Amino acid sequence: MEQIMHTSALMLEGSKVTLEIFFLTLMMALPLGLIVALIRLSGLGILRWAMEFYIWIMRGTPLMLQLLFVYFALPMVGVRLNDLSSALLAFTLNYAAYFAEIFRAGIQSIPRGQYEASKTLGFTYVQTMRHIIIPQMIARVLPPVSNETINLVKDTSLIYILAMNDLLRVARTIVQREFDMTPFVIAAVFYLVMTFVLTWVFNKLEAHYAKYID
Amino acid sequence: MPSTLIDKNDIMVQITGLKKKFGDLQVLDNIDLNICRGEVVAILGPSGSGKSTLLRCMNRLEEINAGSIVIAGETLVENNEKGEASYTSPEKARKILSHMGMVFQQFNLFPHMSVIDNLMAAPKIVKGQSDSEIRPIAEELLKKVGLYDKREVFPSRLSGGQQQRVAIARALAMRPDILLFDEPTSALDPELTIEVLKTIRQLADEKMTMAVVTHEMSFARDVASRVVFMADSHIVEENTSQEFFRNPREERTRNFLKNMLY
Ligand SMILES: Nc1ncnc2c1ncn2[C@@H]1O[C@H](COP(=O)(O)OP(=O)(O)OP(=O)(O)O)[C@@H](O)[C@H]1O
Ligand SMILES: [Mg+2]
Repeated sequence: MEQIMHTSALMLEGSKVTLEIFFLTLMMALPLGLIVALIRLSGLGILRWAMEFYIWIMRGTPLMLQLLFVYFALPMVGVRLNDLSSALLAFTLNYAAYFAEIFRAGIQSIPRGQYEASKTLGFTYVQTMRHIIIPQMIARVLPPVSNETINLVKDTSLIYILAMNDLLRVARTIVQREFDMTPFVIAAVFYLVMTFVLTWVFNKLEAHYAKYID
Repeated sequence: MPSTLIDKNDIMVQITGLKKKFGDLQVLDNIDLNICRGEVVAILGPSGSGKSTLLRCMNRLEEINAGSIVIAGETLVENNEKGEASYTSPEKARKILSHMGMVFQQFNLFPHMSVIDNLMAAPKIVKGQSDSEIRPIAEELLKKVGLYDKREVFPSRLSGGQQQRVAIARALAMRPDILLFDEPTSALDPELTIEVLKTIRQLADEKMTMAVVTHEMSFARDVASRVVFMADSHIVEENTSQEFFRNPREERTRNFLKNMLY
C-alpha cells in the first residue's frame, strides 16, 4: 500500500514537469509563431529571409537533436541554462516554427477582398491584421493547431534524455526498480487523458468559430 | 447640368490625364473625368475596358502611373517634374481617402462579425468613436436599408441582396462624401438586384455623390445623372443619361447599347 502511494506520488511529480513544459511551450510558441508568420509575410527583405532560414532549420532537423544542442552545446559557448529553461527554449523555438507555417498559410487563405474592404474603410495595415485578418485566420487554423498541440503532448516525453524527471522518466525508473509494468500503463493513461481533454477543448473552439463560417 | 455652370468647389473628384498600366498592358489611357457634388455617374462599357480599374484608382486600391486625382479639393496624386504620378504623404492620403467609401461586387463583409459590428468596426477602430456614439447611427442605417431585424446575425446567414445592403450601410457608417460601387448587383439574382438598386436610388434621392460601374441599363437611365461610356482604356463618350440613351453620338456606343438592350 505504502509502495503504491509512493509510486503515485512520484508519478504525480513527473506529470507536473510534463504539464509545465507543455503549457509554457504552448504559451510562448503560439505568439512567437504568429510574430514569425507576420514578419515572413511582410515585405521586410532581410528579416523575412532570416525567418525562412529559421523555419527551415527548425523543421529540417529532429527536435531531439535541437534539445541536445541546447542542452550540451550552448554551455560550451558559455550559455548556461537550467534543465527546464533548456527544454523550454528548444521546444518553443521548434514549435513556433511549425505554428508560424500554419499561421502563414491561414493568413494567406483570407481573400483579398477583406484587405480591400478594410482599406476603403480607412483601416491601417496593423488594424486590418489585428481586427480583420488574424481573427478569421484563427478560426481557419484551429484543426492544424490542434494537431500540433497534441503532438506537443507526446513530444514532451523527449525531455527524458535530458535527465529531467518527467512522467516518462519516472515511470521507467520505477519499472526498472520494481519489475512492475503498471507505471507504463499509468503514463499511457495520463497521455491519453491529456489528448482527450485537448481534443475536447479544440472541438469546443471549432464549434464556437463555426457559427460564422457557412 | 452642363459642367461649365458648376462651382469649382462642387467638384468632388477631378481626374486629369490618368494613365494606368498593368505591366505592359495599358489599362487606362489619358482619362479625364470630373464628378460633381450630388451627381450619380454611371460607368458603362464592355468587359475589360477598364471600368473597375478606374474606380479602384480613385481610392488607391490601384496606383496610377501618370496624371492627377483631386478629391474634394485636395490633391491625392499629381505628376512630378518627370511626368510620373507622385502621391501625397500617407497621412494626408488617408485623410483625403476618408471622403470615399466603396461597395464591392462580392460584398466583402467581415464574416467574423455580426451585422451591426460590421457597421461599427471602422467608426470605432479608425475614428475612435465610442459604442454609445456609433450604435444609434448604425441602427439607424440598418433601419434605412431594411435590415434592423438582422443586426445580430452573421453575414453568412444573409441573402446576397441583404449582404450587399449591409455593405452599403457599412460604407455609410463612415460618413463618406462619395460612394463608389463596382458592379454592386452583378453577383445577385434578378429579384435581389431590385432591392439593392432601390437602396442606391434612395441614396441618389438624398443627393449622395456616387460613381457606379454597372451593367444595369435601366438603372443607369433612370437613376444616373450622367453616363460615362468606356472602351479600350478610354472614355469614348460622356453625356447626361437622357442624352446618352436617346442620342448616342459614337458608333461604338450605339453598338454597345444595341447589344445590351436587345
Ligand atoms: N491586377 C491586375 N493585373 C493585371 N491585369 C489586370 C489586373 N486587373 C485588371 N487587369 C486587366 O486590366 C484590364 C481592365 O480590367 P478591369 O477589371 O478594369 O475591366 P472592367 O471594365 O472592370 O471589366 P469587367 O466588366 O469584366 O469587370 C483587363 O484587361 C484586365 O485583364
Ligand atoms: Mg470590373
